[in-house]
Formats: sequence, structure tokens, C-alpha cells
Amino acid sequence: MIGAFLLAALPLAAQVTFEDLKASPNRNWLTYAGDYKGQRHSPLRRIDRSNVRNLVPKWTFHMETGRRLETVPLVYDGVMYVTNSNEIQALDARSGRRIWSYRDEQSEVNRVNRGAAILGDRVFFVAGDCTLIALDRRTGAVLWTKKYAGVDQGYFATLAPLAVKDRVVVGVGGGDTGNRGFVAAFSASTGEELWRLYTIPGKGEPGAETWSEKLLAWGGAATWLSGTYDPELNLVYWTTGNPWPDFYGGDRKGDNLWSCALLAIDPDTGKMKWAFQFTPHDTHDWDAQGWPVLIDMPYQGTMRKVVMHANRNGFYYILDRVTGEYLRATPFVDKLDWAKGIDAKGRPILVPGKDPSPNGTKACPSVRGASNWMSPSYNPETGLFYVVTLEQCDIYMSSAKEPVPMQNFAGGGGEQIPTEPGKFYLRALDPKTGSRVWEYPLTGPGIMWAGTVSTAGGVIFFGDDDGQLVAVDARDGRHLWHYQMGQQLFASPITYEVDGKQYVTIASQTDVFTFGLFEPAQPVKVLPGLSKTLE
Amino acid sequence: MRRLVFTLFAASSLWGQQPLNHPDNPFDGDPDAIERGKKVYMGSCGGCHGGTGEGGRGPNLRDGRLIRRSTDFQVLNTIKKGVPGSDMPPTNLPDERIWELVAYVRALGAPASETSPPGNPTRGEEVYRNAGCANCHAISGRGGALGPDLTNIGGTRSYGILRESIEKPGDRLTPGYQPVTVQMKDGRTLSGVVKNYTNYDLQMAGRDGQLHLFQIADLTDVQLSMKSLMPADYATRLSRDDMTDLLAYLSRRTLRPADARAARERRRQGR
Repeated sequence: MIGAFLLAALPLAAQVTFEDLKASPNRNWLTYAGDYKGQRHSPLRRIDRSNVRNLVPKWTFHMETGRRLETVPLVYDGVMYVTNSNEIQALDARSGRRIWSYRDEQSEVNRVNRGAAILGDRVFFVAGDCTLIALDRRTGAVLWTKKYAGVDQGYFATLAPLAVKDRVVVGVGGGDTGNRGFVAAFSASTGEELWRLYTIPGKGEPGAETWSEKLLAWGGAATWLSGTYDPELNLVYWTTGNPWPDFYGGDRKGDNLWSCALLAIDPDTGKMKWAFQFTPHDTHDWDAQGWPVLIDMPYQGTMRKVVMHANRNGFYYILDRVTGEYLRATPFVDKLDWAKGIDAKGRPILVPGKDPSPNGTKACPSVRGASNWMSPSYNPETGLFYVVTLEQCDIYMSSAKEPVPMQNFAGGGGEQIPTEPGKFYLRALDPKTGSRVWEYPLTGPGIMWAGTVSTAGGVIFFGDDDGQLVAVDARDGRHLWHYQMGQQLFASPITYEVDGKQYVTIASQTDVFTFGLFEPAQPVKVLPGLSKTLE
Repeated sequence: MRRLVFTLFAASSLWGQQPLNHPDNPFDGDPDAIERGKKVYMGSCGGCHGGTGEGGRGPNLRDGRLIRRSTDFQVLNTIKKGVPGSDMPPTNLPDERIWELVAYVRALGAPASETSPPGNPTRGEEVYRNAGCANCHAISGRGGALGPDLTNIGGTRSYGILRESIEKPGDRLTPGYQPVTVQMKDGRTLSGVVKNYTNYDLQMAGRDGQLHLFQIADLTDVQLSMKSLMPADYATRLSRDDMTDLLAYLSRRTLRPADARAARERRRQGR
């Protein structure tokens, strides 16, 4: 009888709808970037530039198996979903207490994990071996699993899936040791594969001539970061990684389409509407995995739907996101010497002699890129784009060895110059011109991957290179508050609200920290029933 | 003295963590060999180590680190030479018989899906349905939420544990499934299973199938039951065949029917 009641009751439960996803973020944070457009801007304003100095720790959740959390939590209706390698935990977002956990002990590999997706009564995340897992968001019960790529074909997975309409979109990692990148969509209800779009054309297809034939099947162009989505245009924007072998291009002469590119994909069909390649024939491992951030803005007298993108190659781009038309590119770092600029068609004007070489070639930016997958944000009220940037050059080496996939061969590598350590800055860019409005220099060893979140309270929160969560004024970068987390940071913060209280959360290497405004403690009466187990 | 040092080494090597370059078990995962090993085990080992390796006078052979951290060769040596200073005697069985015994001992602790449990899984599914298991448990999203999800139960629990959990659930409460009733300030009460609680807040799954997150300040009473919702009478309610078939069905509930040997190897290497 209980069972019959439960079976009847479950489908009536509150569902996270596509409309909810379009309205995020509000008090909830429902996608990796908070919103479909990748702006990472929260309308919450209880924490603002005048009171953020009263921010205090509210709770800490220790991830027992955590070594280097890169996860961005989701929050829905007071429940936080936080991932780690092959596992996901549901927490009470007010107290950090665990509600349920799911760990995939049978995954073939351990990889970092960057987050989950939510739709209906389900949460989705990927195990390291490219298994997409759907769980009941209330109980953690497994609904279905789908292995969508093989470790034996050079694939692994770290990304947060993207839920769009009735489907879940995922990608793959592994492009540094050879594979063939793709984006794929699965039915949220059954796990059935709906489409798969390879980032490297097949033999005989348009673009295949930009590769040598032997690398068509192994040329990388992996899809390891989640994407953004424009509901009105019904287009998903997804970036692709480097061509393989990363640092030696002699075996893959040509542009190597569509590596180091941004793809606009129809999520209904999986067809590519347009693509734009930032770095043709890349030899510096400059994956295009910076966030494609969607905004509407006037450009040369007319309103344009644009996509902003701070690329690892050091240029800030704006493209028309309807057509993929190149509009403009501007350097957003000073240490940039591989190209004189970008021509009218969006193609880099190369500086000769900057390719990796057997004895090493100095080039800038570094392998880690001028920016990378750490989340930028856009604040519509200030009209500024906030990007974590790295000023660094590297010595790039190449090796012409015969490329053998899945043998940890990358065709060379990049090395830091000991006397020229990298330096991070948080920069606020003018979206139209890419010019710097202000910058906030960061101390530290140059190894972080932490990003930003913008709030309507006029505060930008970001993780710095010394393991601190920092709050600055969105208008001018003035320091407002900071907290030392005791560990390096490799994740981006989020903000959400429960019971009228705003919180800010960021994952450190082994823990999830949540902050809120100081409130005097209220005495709680101890209920005898709770201590019954101790009698 | 020399013999003592040698046998001590054999015993202590069970705890060794370095993988040694020793022969693998030729019968690893072989169902026939496991069956032969089981016969020897029941005759000579079960008396001390328990019928399903759960332990007794001798250590638990199913769940502990003792077995997981040992190579097959180390287990073979321990069986062969015994453990001096303990009740574990040496044996003069030929190596082949001991390897079969090792294969069986490994199968005791392996996830049920990696063994070859007897019984008819199709009939077992009927037993599962008729016995009302789905009232509280879910498989692939179908069923209740008051008991643990069973979708991957064969991939994560050994056959022995599965059987024990059904036949002798006892008073042991599974974390996250302790029955609870709370009373709210407006007088309403809500029952379900408690996911977590402290003196300051409480998270529960209600009988309504929903999550409920409370701050203790919003409650006037909390009653935790010490009695599991899992019925304790299945051992008598189900016939022996029904139980075997039910276990055959549950043992096959796995999300990854991967190669059993490869999976075991990964676990052994700690990956």
C-alpha cells in the first residue's frame, strides 16, 4: 500500500523544467555557468558592495575522496549537488549536511569532475570513463547509465553535462593523446543517443583536406568543457580543443578543422550551423576551451547578438552568434608574440619563428593560455566582462616522432621559464573593444584554475592564485573582502538563496565552503528524540 | 626457529601492500573451480570462517582488507602453511585444490554479479514483485524510496551480503534509512526515513516521496525508530527455491556487466 502510494506520488513531484533552466540563475543555480548564456551573473543582491565585508563561513563539507575538486555545484530548492571524480553528493544547501551520495566504484578511470546537470526530477553527471549517469535528484537512485565512449579509444570525461529541452549534451576529453572529438546528445528520460557530431570531418567530407589522412581518426579536437545555449536561436555553442599531436604539426599539415574552434550546433538535430576556428593549425596546445559568453550589444550602430570569447591564444574575440561572422579581436594580455594581429576574416597574422622546435622556442602566451576554462562573467549593470588572465611565456619544444595514439605522446611540450614566472590578473574588459577598464593583480605561484561569479549586488567573487576567495567591486575592482581557504583553488564560485538568505559557495581542493552574511546565533532547543540512539 | 621465521613471514605477507611477482591463480573466476573450492571450504573452512566467509572463530574472509590487500599467491601460502600461533592449521592439500579454494574465497567477497549465482533470475524477478520488494526499493527508477536503491546492488555487494541482508536483516539500520517521524510547529507530523540529522537540522525522505529539509528550531518533536522497515521474516516467508531465485535476480542487477576479472584486477591495484 505504501508502495502504491509512492509510485503514484513520485511523478507529481516538483520538476525542474526547461523554463526553470532558462530563468536560472535566480535563487537557484541550475547549470554549470548558472545561466544558459554563460554570463555567470546572479540577480541576487542581499550581499552587496556595502555589506560583503560581513561575510562569514556558514558551513564546510569535506569530500572524503577529494584531492583536487574542480566542481561547480548546482543548487535547486535548497539542495546542492556537488560532484567529484566518479561521485556526486546531494547536500542541504543551508547546512552542508549530506542527503545522499552516489559513487561509481566500477568506473574504469578516475578523472576530475566539473559538475552536474539537472532536468525534471533528475541529476546527470559523467563518470571518468565517459559513462553518463542519470539519478533521481531526491534519492540518488540510479535511473539509467549510458557509456558513450571508450577509454580504449582514447576518451575520458570531466565535464558538466548541459541539459537542453528534453536532452543532455556531453563531450569528451583525451585530445592530448589522440582521439576524435565529438559532441553528443542523449534523451534525458531514457539515455538513448539522439545525435553525435564529430569535430573532425570523416574521410571525404568537407574539411578532411585540412588534415593528413592518418590523423582524421585521431586528430583530437576534444570537447571537454560544457557549452552555452541561446534558447531564441536554438543554438548550442561548444568549444573544441587542440589538434593532435599538440606541439608537432608536420604530420597534420593544413588548418586541422575544426580544432581550436567554436561550433554552433542545433540541439534538435546535432547539425553544425556554423563554426569558427580561432587558431588554425595550432602547435601551442591552445584549446579553445574558454567560455563562449552570449550577450546582445550595439556594434557599429546596430544591435548584434554576439558571442564573447577570451581565447587561450591571447585574443579576445567577438563573433555574430547568429551567423558566426567574425567582428573583432583584441589582445587581452601583454605577453603575446605569436601573431601581429587578426585579419579582417578572423585569421591570425603569424609572426614567423614561433612554432615549437626541437631545441625550444620562446613564445607567448604559455601552454596554459592567456585564459583557459576558468569561468569568466559578465555584469549587465556595469557592462563589463570579467576574465582571469595569465601573463606568461613558455619555451615550446617539438618532437617529430611517429604519432602513436594513447601513448602519452603530444609531439613535444611547453616549459615554464624559471626566471619568468607567470602572473595572474583579474581583468575587466569592455565587451565592445576588448580594452581593459581595470585590472586586479594576483600574487601566487601561477597554478590556479579558479574563475569568477558576478552579482547584482555589485560584487565580483573569484578565487585567487593564493587560495583565497576574494570579493571586489564590479565597477572598479576595489577590494572588499577575502577569505583564505587554506588550499589552492581550481573551481569557480556560485551564489544562491535559501529562505531569504544569500550564500556564496566555492570548492577548494578537498572541501566545499559556503559563506553568508553574519547573523548572531539563535539558541536551539535540543530535542530529546534526536539523542535516542545514544541511550 | 628457522621454520618459525618462515611461517611468520608467510602470515605477515598477507598484510603486504607491495604487489609481488608471483603466479596468478589459474582458476580465478572459473565457475566450476569455484564450485569445487566451495565443497572443500564447506568441509574444512566454514566452521571457523563462517558459511559465507562472514567470520566467527576465524577472521571474516569476505569484506575485510585482509583478503582484498593480499595477492592470490599470498592467500595460497597462508592456507598451505597455516598461521602459527593461531588456530589456523596448515594443510597438505595439493596446490590445485588450494587454488580452487582461493578462487572460492575471492568469489565470497566479489560483487555478486561477478560470480555465477545459482537459481533462475527470471523467476526471481517474479519473486521480487510478489514479495513486495518494490514497495520500498527501486530498480532503474521503478519502486519506492524508503529502502536503498537496488539498481546496481549486484555490482556492489557480494552474494553473501545480499543473502544475509534478506534472510537476517536483524536490527542493523542502514545509514540514511532509519525510520523517523517529526512534528512541526503547526502540529502536523511527517513520517519517512532520515537521511541525516544533527541537533540543529534534519534531512528526511518522506513517505510522500519528497525530500524534506528541516531546521530543528522549526520542529517540536522528532522520534527516531530503532527498528528497520525491512521485514525480518523473508527467510521463513520465502521457500528455499524462491530465495535462491530472488538472489539470482538481484545478483544480476549491475550497471556494468564488465569483464569480471578485469574489474577485480582494477580493485586489487587500487584503481
